[in-house]
Amino acid sequence: MRSPAGGGREGDTPLALKNTIRGRDIISCRDLSRGDAELIFSLTEEVVSGAARLENTLAERKIALIFVEPSTRTFQSFYVAARSLGAEVLSIHDPEVSSIAKGETLYDTMKMIEGYGADCIVLRHPARGAARFAAEVASVPVINAGSGSQEHPTQALLDVFTIKSKLGSVDGIRVGMLGDLRFSRTIPSLCYLLSNYSNVKTYFMAPPLLQVRREIELYLSERGVEYRKVVEVDEIREVMPELDVLYVTRIQKERFPDPTEYEKVKGSYVVDARLLSYGRRELGVMHPLPRVDELSPEVDKLPNAWYFEQARNGLPLRKALLYLILGEAG
Amino acid sequence: MSAESLLVRKIDWGTVLDHIPAWRADQVVRLLNLESLKRDADVSVIVLYNVPSRKLGRKDIVKLYHYMVSEEEAKILALVFPQITINYIRDWKVEKHSPGLPTEIVGKIRCPETTCITNVEREPATPRYIVMREHGVIACEYCDTLLEIERIPDFLRE
Repeated sequence: MRSPAGGGREGDTPLALKNTIRGRDIISCRDLSRGDAELIFSLTEEVVSGAARLENTLAERKIALIFVEPSTRTFQSFYVAARSLGAEVLSIHDPEVSSIAKGETLYDTMKMIEGYGADCIVLRHPARGAARFAAEVASVPVINAGSGSQEHPTQALLDVFTIKSKLGSVDGIRVGMLGDLRFSRTIPSLCYLLSNYSNVKTYFMAPPLLQVRREIELYLSERGVEYRKVVEVDEIREVMPELDVLYVTRIQKERFPDPTEYEKVKGSYVVDARLLSYGRRELGVMHPLPRVDELSPEVDKLPNAWYFEQARNGLPLRKALLYLILGEAG
Repeated sequence: MSAESLLVRKIDWGTVLDHIPAWRADQVVRLLNLESLKRDADVSVIVLYNVPSRKLGRKDIVKLYHYMVSEEEAKILALVFPQITINYIRDWKVEKHSPGLPTEIVGKIRCPETTCITNVEREPATPRYIVMREHGVIACEYCDTLLEIERIPDFLRE
């Protein structure tokens, strides 16, 4: 990686670490080692501090943003990141006005976009496995920006980056994950990425219907990561003092086969000042956003609220990631 | 003379799949996609249900006259039906075959996760699974969904 014209940080080497990300697909957090994540975090930190100025380092590159599902933060942050790196952006943001609405397959869309000279494809798609399939079809790097309920690796990267910047270290942390853990795509990615760090313990706080999928439990067990399922509301209060981070996800009413079941649990999983009073003073509250009722606005003004900073980190992190994938070799 | 030999005569060339759990021979037929051989005049399929067995009490047998089960098919059969016996017959001579277990299964099984890319209509994504025998499951290589090995016959592709 060389110091780019019109950008770069002071000194000779923009990044002392070997670039293990260059030219790679980012499909699952299971494919990312601790070293890969730390490399991305190092450059993100430099982007945040201003030590690395990557503006126009990807001039003459084309980045395709293919979003077949709604998105606000992920699309916008990838778009702004790509533009500030100087790349040309090809985008499908509203599938209703593209050939996808006419029934075009993902396979054909990938072939078409690649034919237009895209150097990298950022894909959000409602099907699980879509990103892995797209990466097989395309010869250029594919970044998974959300594959149905399966994974959202760049969200997990910015989540763990946020944890690291707030706490200084990720090793040994206790993370409570609360809400819809079954259909949330951020939870698997976060679990997989956290499993790279030592002595991390996770608490899955959700009703049985919304508990984590079996493949996540299996993966964590195989990697020796301790986890505990917390189902009852009283139990949630009990474990609150143990947590360093409480990661909240939206409970989606439409997932419940029986609406009365939803009514029963929805109020129990609301994070408000009262619930936080059971936790440590330094407890950080995170949320991938958007939120509905599960995270009370009264938390916004508490020092525990990390979620807006977390959302802000999406831009520098995606900028660093695109640069590492497409920039000069290190 | 064993009970099954009373029912169906011996074959000179082909495959005999023995010790299939009783009433599960249809799953073997589907797993081998034997219907695809319907235009092959040389092939005959003989299915025996609920035959007495010393080992299993009752069992099914599938005799494939003029058809040799492939190594890949034999491995999947051995995974799903651990007690199955696979015998190749060449010129009346019986060769007992002990296949290894597959590490990957490609194309034969549809993903139980309805939102998997391999279940999206017209999308040319072939289902592919990693076998995790120690956990009794196979895992979709696209969407990570786990399927218990004993449930494989319920998810065979048409």
